[in-house]
Amino acid sequence: MKPSRMILAAACAGLLLTAATASAEVIGDIERGKALAGEICVACHGADGNSPVPMFPKLAGQHADYALKQLQEFASGRRQSDIMKPIVEGLSTRDMADVAVFFAAQQPLPGQVDDPSMLDAGRRVFNEGNPDQGVPACAGCHGANGIGNARYPRLAGQYPAYVLDQMAQFADGRRSNDKRLMQTIASRLGETETRAVAEYIASLEGSK
Amino acid sequence: MRYALSAMSLLLVACGSTVAQTGSAPRAPGIESSGYVWNQPDPDKDAALAHRPDIEKGKIAYEVCQGCHQPDGAGRADAIYPSLAGQHASVLIKQMMDVRAGRRDNPKMHPFVGEWVVSVEDVANIAAYLSQLPISLDNGKGSGNRLARGRELYDNDCASCHGDNGEGRAAEFYPLVAHQHYAYLYKEAVMIRDGERRNANPKMVVVIRDYSNEDLKAVSDYMSRLALPAAAGR
Ligand code: HEC
Ligand code: HEC
Ligand code: HEC
Ligand code: HEC
Repeated sequence: MKPSRMILAAACAGLLLTAATASAEVIGDIERGKALAGEICVACHGADGNSPVPMFPKLAGQHADYALKQLQEFASGRRQSDIMKPIVEGLSTRDMADVAVFFAAQQPLPGQVDDPSMLDAGRRVFNEGNPDQGVPACAGCHGANGIGNARYPRLAGQYPAYVLDQMAQFADGRRSNDKRLMQTIASRLGETETRAVAEYIASLEGSK
Repeated sequence: MRYALSAMSLLLVACGSTVAQTGSAPRAPGIESSGYVWNQPDPDKDAALAHRPDIEKGKIAYEVCQGCHQPDGAGRADAIYPSLAGQHASVLIKQMMDVRAGRRDNPKMHPFVGEWVVSVEDVANIAAYLSQLPISLDNGKGSGNRLARGRELYDNDCASCHGDNGEGRAAEFYPLVAHQHYAYLYKEAVMIRDGERRNANPKMVVVIRDYSNEDLKAVSDYMSRLALPAAAGR
């Protein structure tokens, strides 16, 4: 292990001792995040980030860096959502970091597959993309099991309805906070492939 | 004239980037234009070549490419995604910057190498990371039917630049071709011959101008089987 890594690891361990946690960059207070989530987010995203409704994304196990970026971009309008905008307007930067690290630390529940007959096709798209259309494998960025990392969101176990909605938003440009990567991918994928890969994503459990 | 040309290319670059906003790749003058100079200086390319690279950062920046070129940089023979592992950093930088600027057409890849995705420093870091990855030895090969002919052609016409063992030459921006996928080599050779790879080296074009498809297949097959003396140990 490189010395710089050791220092970082030691710093993280120290933070954990003080009931806070650090991802690659986000530092927040889990207990404070839990209280805020229980107050404001619970109705839609569930107390532990396992949302009860398919159109509300699961946040459990989502990387804090990604969640924080989304919250900031809902606030700035870079990501449009009439539902999330008024909610984040009431949050400070510290609140956002605290809820982000809280949800990141929660255990995601397995997803629900609606149509198992599409899983094989979905697996192919996820692991191989579509070379004829210039679609890279989803696994290339989101990780082999859809676990993601600090730079690419976790997808594993997400609701197909939410994934399909986001893919449609990327394809027609309503969602454009992605350096045009997902906009390119979503507009190159066919409708059936998109539905298949959404089902496959729901089937991915992956550890947190 | 020089000024007029560069003003024009600036304009083209400017237009190119507005086009890129809507998703299609830019187009800059290439071998089809009069006054084409291969590997002309270019501010972004030169900055990337001059950057002192950080391999760890390159590994992270390379994530955005993995979905096509694969985590080990071996590419995919079936999808005609070239192998990048072990390629010279100079070659990788030139090719990425040529795609970005629209001197080499690659609409599938363009949205993933745009300057809004990878910075000049990222390009240099990715190139340094890839160039030190071990070359994958199970690349796609051709039919194996005309290897003697392929060898004869290669030794006579290609080895002077691409090297006796296909090792290329980093300082001259000549690509490593050993262990590259046959399907990719053949596709590129045809495009270079036919003027469709617009960033091609005119001296090479002269050499392969009269090659038949059959001979391009034979020489590509032979190239795909070249082995670097050092490859086993890399
Ligand atoms: C009234 C319901 C509702 C409430 C309350 C709510 N959300 Fe959301 N949230 C949504 C919806 C709907 C979306 C999807 C927005 C879209 O269409 O892109 C979303 C998206 C998100 C996302 C992006 C997820 C992703 O995978 O990209 C994050 C992060 C998030 N919410 C966090 C929170 C936090 C933190 C709170 C509490 C402070 C909260 N939300 C409260 C409905 C809600
Ligand atoms: C080149 C890298 C890359 C590849 C390949 C890629 N993605 Fe993404 N994806 C991203 C990035 C970056 C984001 C997050 C954008 C942001 O920050 O808001 C994202 C976000 C998403 C989201 C939204 C997640 C959420 O919680 O709102 C979905 C859904 C998604 N990707 C699905 C896919 C699918 C399906 C594939 C394969 C067909 C795929 N991605 C391939 C980079 C990639
Ligand atoms: C959507 C798939 C895709 C993605 C993503 C992609 N590439 Fe490519 N790349 C290709 C294809 C296809 C070719 C071959 C083009 C041709 O046939 O001329 C190529 C060619 C190249 C070449 C030229 C190789 C040579 O020997 O001349 C380089 C260098 C390269 N890619 C680097 C990258 C880097 C670096 C990234 C990420 C920043 C990347 N590519 C992302 C599809 C992709
Ligand atoms: C005068 C030097 C020279 C000679 C001779 C030459 N090449 Fe090349 N070749 C190059 C250069 C330089 C490039 C890269 C061009 C660029 O910058 O895009 C190249 C690229 C290629 C490529 C594409 C490689 C890639 O990674 O994309 C193939 C295939 C190729 N050459 C085949 C051949 C064959 C076959 C011969 C002999 C018949 C040959 N070359 C002779 C200089 C040469």
